[in-house]
Amino acid sequence: MSEGIIMDTILSTMFYFWITLFVAYFLMQRGLWIFSDVAKGTVSFMLEKALGPGADLVEGRPGAGARSWIMQGSLWMIFASMFTFTSMWLTHDPDALHSLASWGYTANAEELASAGVYATLYGTVSMFIIGCSFHIIPKLAGTELASETNANLVSFVWTISVLVLVIGSQNNSILGIDIIPLGVALNNIVLLAVIMNQLLTVANKTRNIATPGWLILIALLSSPILAIVSIVSGAANDNVGQWLTYHIFGGTFFFAGVAGIALYASSIASGNPLWSKTLVGVTLIGSIFTINPFGDVDGQMVMDAFGPLADNNVMSFTNQDMLSASFLMALVSIPVLAFSSNMLVTMRGSDMFVDDPDASGNAELNLGSWLIIPIVIGSLFVQTDAVSGTNELLGISNSLSVMAGWLVLVPLSLGAALSLYPELVGRHLFSQNRARWGFWMMTGGAIFGLSITMIADFMDIALAELLVEDSSNLSEELRKVGSVMFYGVVIGSILHTLNMVTGMFRGELISKKSVRTSSISVESYSLVSPTTIRRILSSGADLDTEVIPTGENDEKGSATKL
Amino acid sequence: MSTNTIDSVDVFLQGEKEPSGSWVFIVLGLVLSLSFLVLYSILYPGQDLPVISDLMPVFKGVFDSGIWFFILGTMIGIFAILGRLLLEATSE
Repeated sequence: MSEGIIMDTILSTMFYFWITLFVAYFLMQRGLWIFSDVAKGTVSFMLEKALGPGADLVEGRPGAGARSWIMQGSLWMIFASMFTFTSMWLTHDPDALHSLASWGYTANAEELASAGVYATLYGTVSMFIIGCSFHIIPKLAGTELASETNANLVSFVWTISVLVLVIGSQNNSILGIDIIPLGVALNNIVLLAVIMNQLLTVANKTRNIATPGWLILIALLSSPILAIVSIVSGAANDNVGQWLTYHIFGGTFFFAGVAGIALYASSIASGNPLWSKTLVGVTLIGSIFTINPFGDVDGQMVMDAFGPLADNNVMSFTNQDMLSASFLMALVSIPVLAFSSNMLVTMRGSDMFVDDPDASGNAELNLGSWLIIPIVIGSLFVQTDAVSGTNELLGISNSLSVMAGWLVLVPLSLGAALSLYPELVGRHLFSQNRARWGFWMMTGGAIFGLSITMIADFMDIALAELLVEDSSNLSEELRKVGSVMFYGVVIGSILHTLNMVTGMFRGELISKKSVRTSSISVESYSLVSPTTIRRILSSGADLDTEVIPTGENDEKGSATKL
Repeated sequence: MSTNTIDSVDVFLQGEKEPSGSWVFIVLGLVLSLSFLVLYSILYPGQDLPVISDLMPVFKGVFDSGIWFFILGTMIGIFAILGRLLLEATSE
């Protein structure tokens, strides 16, 4: 084969990924021909009966699965922020936790930062995405979740897998066993159960699923597909392929997943119809066909995740790789702008009036929608710099990566979870005031803490360029201030979690009037009681929607004949 | 004349809303914290802020860094959540 037709790592891996994802989408739409019923029965058996006595450990009431995932996600948020804060502190004071050495634990800034990343991405964001998806997909499909019991049970296994990953980030080899691949394997087993549950739910759909639902489904499917493609195509064996796998995963699982739940929640939180279906489609297609620049400048996490299945070949980006990577990364601005504008206009609404401006989650969704644009532009510069081998901006990559986590992914996923909370729990949050404080503490802590740390990063870069050997005292002082300010995120996380936990028991019960519905366009509206035109419009109805008065009859009921 | 005093003392209602002027106390708290830092730097110029082991010598060699204030704060928060879960689960 001549060299001319051999595609580079970037394009060939992405090509295989796109094809496989398309096949998966096609199968979801068309079913498995005569095997559909057999597959449904088998999956249904595996989700419920095959669990044996394990199924009795948890409740299977409607909403139990989503609730369990979201509550555990909020608990992980505290640990995630704490690990990140501690790593920031240890950067300027490496011996701060020396006393823990007497227990055999040597705290290290880099390892704690890694633990923070695992806890943030897998513990918090992923659990919020999956938790919300267990509520959103059945709603959009007009059916019930296939197995609430399974959804509830596997949330605890996912938590164990995150715990394994956090332990692995501190010590990756215990008794000769690689811990991180073990955690990732456990994680993927749970994800398969989640995917099966969702696919079975989709198989029982009574109406077409709106596009935000497809964003979530593609996000869930992308993870195992990408893992297989990466190993089969050999991308997992060198640093270029690992970098690519890391960023495709970030773009499909995290960006598409967060975008799906946030777009759904934006209409729930504001009571306004989703502004544009086309822009949701652009977000969906864009998240698959472009490379998301959020995150690290290397693929170390992928190498750690695949363990023995990945090699450690160091390859430099070829010119073709550089060109295609830079081009596909630049294209990410299209889905990001589409997502951001759709979110902001949906939340503002056409009548400049938000249904409930104090609703929890509104502020977080707004914040994430605004900040995704500057952070994605910043990440684009850093990644392009790394891909081209210039590495002038390498020093700020870590701060920017943490910013993407705490100012985009966490606010959007937390905002969605808070918006869906009343419907899932049946009660409002315990205190709106505490939710507001939680928001300001988290936002202020993350913006000021990370911006100040980034200023210190820039100072260090400038000093390194000038070949100054002694590190700047001012830079160290700034890092101290940055880490102390980031502690606001920890306090905010605790306030949010406490509010959610207390709300489960003491939150105000939701009344029928306050239940908000998705504003994704509806063809008919059943009028069961007197209501305002505004409320009908906010439920997704438009001028062409048929309003059907539904009467009640007083006839005596009788048993249903089977 | 009889006065029913039981009803008036037995019920405690926890308000969730804040009066509009309560932000004054938060600002006051911030001003006091900054004043303390300024006063400390005047009284003890060039010295770091005291850590737990300075205040309680029994913890010397253990809590030798300011980070422990923050870690203990987080632990209080986590135990508040666990305590809330346990109390609510066993209250009925």
